[in-house]
Amino acid sequence: MYKLESKNLNLWYGPKQALKDISMGVDANTVTAFIGPSGCGKSTFLRCFNRMNDLIPNVRITGQALIDNINIYSRNVDVYEHRKSIGMVFQKPNPFPKSIYENVAYGLHIIGENSKSIIDESVETALKQAALWNEVKDSLKKSALALSGGQQQRLCIARAIAVKPSILLMDEPASALDPLSTAKIEELIYNLKKEYSIVIVTHNMQQAGRVSDKTAFFYLGELIEYDNTSKIFTNPSKEATQNYITGRFG
Amino acid sequence: MTHLQDELKKLKDSLNQMSYQVMNQLSKSVESLTKFDKDLAQEVIRNEKRINALELEIDKECEKIFTLMTPVAKDMRFVFATLKINNDLERIADYAENIGLMVMSLEKPFEKSLLEELRLEEMSTTAKSMLADTIAAYSSGNAQLARGVFTEDLIINDIQRKAKLIITNECKKDIDNIINYMDLWSVVRRLERVGDHITNVAEEIIFYLEATVLKHSGKVSPGKDRKNIKS
Amino acid sequence: MIKRIKTNKARIKDQLFKYFAMLCTGLCLLVLALLLIDIISKGIGRINWSFFSNLPSRHFDESGIYTALIGMVSLLFLTVLIAMPIGIMAAIYLQEYGTKNRFARIVEINIANLAGVPSVIYGILGLQIFVRIAGFGNSILAGALTLALLIMPIVIVATREAIKAVPNSLREASFGMGATKWQTTRNVVIPAAWGGILTGVILSVSRAIGETAPLIVVGALVYVPFIPEGPLDQYTTLPIQIFNWTSRPQQGFITNAAAGIIVLLAFTFLLNGIAIWLRNRWNNKVKF
Repeated sequence: MYKLESKNLNLWYGPKQALKDISMGVDANTVTAFIGPSGCGKSTFLRCFNRMNDLIPNVRITGQALIDNINIYSRNVDVYEHRKSIGMVFQKPNPFPKSIYENVAYGLHIIGENSKSIIDESVETALKQAALWNEVKDSLKKSALALSGGQQQRLCIARAIAVKPSILLMDEPASALDPLSTAKIEELIYNLKKEYSIVIVTHNMQQAGRVSDKTAFFYLGELIEYDNTSKIFTNPSKEATQNYITGRFG
Repeated sequence: MTHLQDELKKLKDSLNQMSYQVMNQLSKSVESLTKFDKDLAQEVIRNEKRINALELEIDKECEKIFTLMTPVAKDMRFVFATLKINNDLERIADYAENIGLMVMSLEKPFEKSLLEELRLEEMSTTAKSMLADTIAAYSSGNAQLARGVFTEDLIINDIQRKAKLIITNECKKDIDNIINYMDLWSVVRRLERVGDHITNVAEEIIFYLEATVLKHSGKVSPGKDRKNIKS
Repeated sequence: MIKRIKTNKARIKDQLFKYFAMLCTGLCLLVLALLLIDIISKGIGRINWSFFSNLPSRHFDESGIYTALIGMVSLLFLTVLIAMPIGIMAAIYLQEYGTKNRFARIVEINIANLAGVPSVIYGILGLQIFVRIAGFGNSILAGALTLALLIMPIVIVATREAIKAVPNSLREASFGMGATKWQTTRNVVIPAAWGGILTGVILSVSRAIGETAPLIVVGALVYVPFIPEGPLDQYTTLPIQIFNWTSRPQQGFITNAAAGIIVLLAFTFLLNGIAIWLRNRWNNKVKF
């Protein structure tokens, strides 16, 4: 059984079809990278799994997106409850203009956790997992916006994992960061896969190589190739994949 | 420790394992010759398969690190050097196997006195000590240890030169058994080649540690004409 | 060669425009300075403790702004109390919940237009609805409701701008955690926009502070010898007191008016200053 799976998933923005008949499965406790040129649908596809596309008007979806074999687009799935079980990290670090502590505790408040001691503990655990604890443990009350970009992104990761989701969706989590922060985030992803199933969209092919176990190549809304990362990067079976990863595109 | 460091350490461990096995192969093969021990020679031949498998494994690991982890600077040199060292080690193991095969084909042992005169044991132990030094240099990052190998190689070359005269004389004395002396000469030649491969390994290690290319530059006195490409 | 002449011409034009702009700015500042100097030189001598603590009186040297000041502050307090929640809620609805269709656009344009309606119109509206129909009479509540109507469009527009400035990525982050729209609005959007909202409210108050016309229409009294104790009490405010004094023939009352104007100006500057301070503070704290 796959952790995440899509079956014949199609998605339209108004009249424009953005995803074409995508079927693939992601195993638990692995890192899967989505690569492809801009506008190829990889972010859109990622956002199908926590139904973030619902927020955009005129989106139409057919087919199935399953998590633990449950179709999340079926009628009896509560979208808010569903999103609570999936963490998401965005391209630009987007901490709330609140204290570091409040940022990490946000999700816990949303899921209705009221016990101060449990929240304290979860905040600490999440910050430790996100490799940020040592840098901020003495300034939890400080504004999150005072942190550097890389720290902010790790804070966002801490915020996402504080509620212990089983899946972490990352939409180009390091594209706005300097190389050192990027390396830290990659290291973090590598370590987090022990506990989470991670799907990461990235424009950086080296990054996909470094962090992921499997790689999916998207082009013009289609899933061109999906295989082990080492296979994709040493001997891809499709010409298009080869051209893209070697930079000979178009 | 980062993911890359993790992988590099694994690679280092694999290569160390490879070099110990090669070192064993080498000493066992020479021992099988001097003691005329066909069982030992057989063991060397059998082991060669394992070494080949290990070589492929290391090649693959290097390839994986290059394609997936984009190592740079010292890390890149490390993987690059490892890839080449791996190749050299495999050749050394091949020579050991060749010696083993030769021993298997022998009908009677060589005279002890002749073997001693040829200083085959000394060649083997010198090669072993060179290999041990390079392994230590590789593991600990000590370039000085690797440089010592170049002088040791001179001993091997010297032994070969002398062995050539000895074997030529033996051939003149005993023309009927010339084929055996040819075999013996091939052993000497191979051990000399082993020495060359080990100096190559040392060069690779120095390249990895100092980003200095010693190849084709008179490595015997490395201090003199070292190019100044510091990392 | 030709090019060179052209650049010279352009440079002269550039210089001319610069001096023209400087002249305009200087003129404005000059007028303002004259006005301030005139007022301050006339009224500063009148400002002392008794001017603040005395009730209005027939004798100019005994009359003070006590009732007008208290009346004004309570009126503004009530106004903000009414206008702020309604205005903010309306803005949140329009910005976060309302669908972006033609009706929404018409509402949007109308709100902007409302901000430009002459204030006396609001006074007439207030007179009919609050004073007469609702029967509040010429109470402080009727005045506050009228002023609340007056500043509501400003509050709404300012709040909408502040909410619009909250980056979508914050909303996404909140939705991504499984928060509902209301949780997102309450926990993320409003706190992030709060500085901008407050700035808007304060600026609208500093507009309300100087309003006289609608208050006269809804019946703020000229002479109130007591301070209001409840929302249904009668009241007067500082601008009306000033207006009253300026219509007196005696020079002493003119001096009183000048002193009153100084107090009123000080109030406006203070409020604007707080607004600027808040905005800067918030901008430093909330960098998106």
